[in-house]
Order: sequence, then C-alpha cells, then structure tokens
Amino acid sequence: MQELIEYIARSLVDDPTQVRVSQQRSGDNVQIRLHVAQEDMGRVIGRNGRVANAMRVLLRVAAAHDGSRAVLDIAEPR
Amino acid sequence: MTEKTATLEIIAPTIEEAIEKGLQNLGLPRESVDVEILDEGSKGLFGLRSRQARIRLRIKETGPLIEQATTKEKTDSHSEKESNAEVEDKTPTATSPDIQTSSENKVLLVAKETIDELLQKMNVNAEVSVHFGEMDDKSGTKPLLVDINGNDLSILIGKNAETLNAIQYIARLIISREIGKAIYLIVDVEGYRTRKEQQLQKIAARMAEEVIERGRSLALEPMPPNERRIIHIALKDHPKVYTESTGEGSHRKVVIYPK
Repeated sequence: MQELIEYIARSLVDDPTQVRVSQQRSGDNVQIRLHVAQEDMGRVIGRNGRVANAMRVLLRVAAAHDGSRAVLDIAEPR
Repeated sequence: MTEKTATLEIIAPTIEEAIEKGLQNLGLPRESVDVEILDEGSKGLFGLRSRQARIRLRIKETGPLIEQATTKEKTDSHSEKESNAEVEDKTPTATSPDIQTSSENKVLLVAKETIDELLQKMNVNAEVSVHFGEMDDKSGTKPLLVDINGNDLSILIGKNAETLNAIQYIARLIISREIGKAIYLIVDVEGYRTRKEQQLQKIAARMAEEVIERGRSLALEPMPPNERRIIHIALKDHPKVYTESTGEGSHRKVVIYPK
C-alpha cells in the first residue's frame, strides 16, 4: 500500500527526494500519510482533489487484497 | 494449482451468456464448474441504469486433465497477444517517418511499464497489452489503448467503472509526464468499455425512436462525460432528433429533442 502511494507520488512531483510515506496499522485499519514538498502539494491533490481521490480509489483496491481498510492523508508541509 | 488460479470472472449482458462465455474460454462442460453470481445485472427501464451481469466460475476438481486444459488456454492467449504486439510495433503508419515510429514505441513501452507497476503495487495480477488505436479525426491524435486481462476483473472495474477510471487518470498523468507531452489514454479491462459503448449506442437509438414517436423531448439518466459523449456522437447525424446536455456536475444528463 505504502509502495503504491510512494510510486504514484514520486512519479508526479517535481521533487521526488522530498516524498515521504508512512504507514500505521491498527487492526484492519491502515493509515497512510504522504508528505511532499510544499511546491508539489498541488500535484498530489489535483484540481478539486482529483488526483488525491484517484489515489484513494487505487489504495482501496490494494488494501482489499488483505481485507484491510486504508485511508490516505496528505500532510501539510511544516 | 491454487484455488485462485482455478477461478475465472466473466462479464456479459446476461448471466446465461456469461456462463456460456466462461465455459467456452475454459473449454469445460457445465458440470465441471461452480457458478457464483457476483452481480445479476439489470435491464432497467428502457435499458437505462442497465448493468451487465458478472459471474465467477470455479473449477470443481482440478484433475490433471482440467489443469492441462486451463494451462494450455493461458499460454495460447498469451502468445497470441505477444505476436499481436509485434505486428503492431513493426507496422509503421503511412505518414510517420522513422523518428515518429521510434517515439511511438517509447510511448508504448512507458505505458506498459507504468500500468504494470501500478497493478503490481495494487496487488493485482494481470496481463497488460498496449497498442495505438485509430487516429481521432477531431483531435488528430492516436489514442493509446491499454487492455488489462486477468482474474480480478470486478475489482479492477469497480462501481461505475470507478477503479478503471482512477487507473486511467493516474496512468495518464504519469505517462504524460514521463514522455513530456499530453497523451490520450484509454484503459480497458476485458473489453468492458467496448461493451458499455455498444450498450449506450443501443440506448441512444431506442430513446431516439421514443422521442420521434412521442414527439417530445426525453432526458436520459445522469452520466459521466465520456458516456454522454458516446450518446451525442451516436445521434450526431440523426435526421429527426438532436441532443444537448443539461444539469451540473454528477447530475449532468443528455436530453434528446425532436427536430
């Protein structure tokens, strides 16, 4: 799951070195957090959140494989 | 042979057709499989809201004979696809000089790699084949067609083709970025879009008849842009009706008017 988001994010941003993805599991729930450079926020969110939503759809498929539910958070850059 | 590889998912207009198609694919008699109905499909009113039936065939006892049959089937379809891809690669289009052909090959390669990578990371096992479609008259570009074939069909299409569209969108962004120019990408799973398109064309024709008969306009169900486009194109040159879209966002629908 983590790898999926990492792959998509790295492929879409201008600065792949700033892409960080963390994964936290509690029972069947998995929380994926994506960090990207401030300038790349738009690329991983997209207009009206279209990119973020598409990533969530694909993440759901990846998670369904082992019966878990995954949520994707895109973290505000500090 | 694991249980997973001994199942096959089929999508067809009706359950009966799906079963028949599946048995044909497997080369097995009806008694050798269990049928699980995943989606009964529905005809809907006037063919609106119609969904195709989805079933899963599970091979009952994987005896040596059956195993052989399925393995053979797989290798066959595989080699067929490969030889198709080869033909496609080696056929230069009339207008394109070598440079264009080689850049087209690069696009095919990038597309295949991208979709393979996405599916693998989504834990989906599938065969991917890519080729260019017919030149689109309007935009003057050739669409890049990606076909995905495998066992987990339902999950790859999703509700209202949600997953299919997400794969298509993300893949288009990644591939366009990789090759440095916008591409027109269509991703299909086991001919799902093609069948959907034929279904919509039938609906368009039937509704047009209805409009002519009643002499007043009719609104179709709300549809996504690509589906509305199919309806518009289907009735573009119709002598007695014309089409328009009304409504906003997800409520946008096609209205057919008498001329």
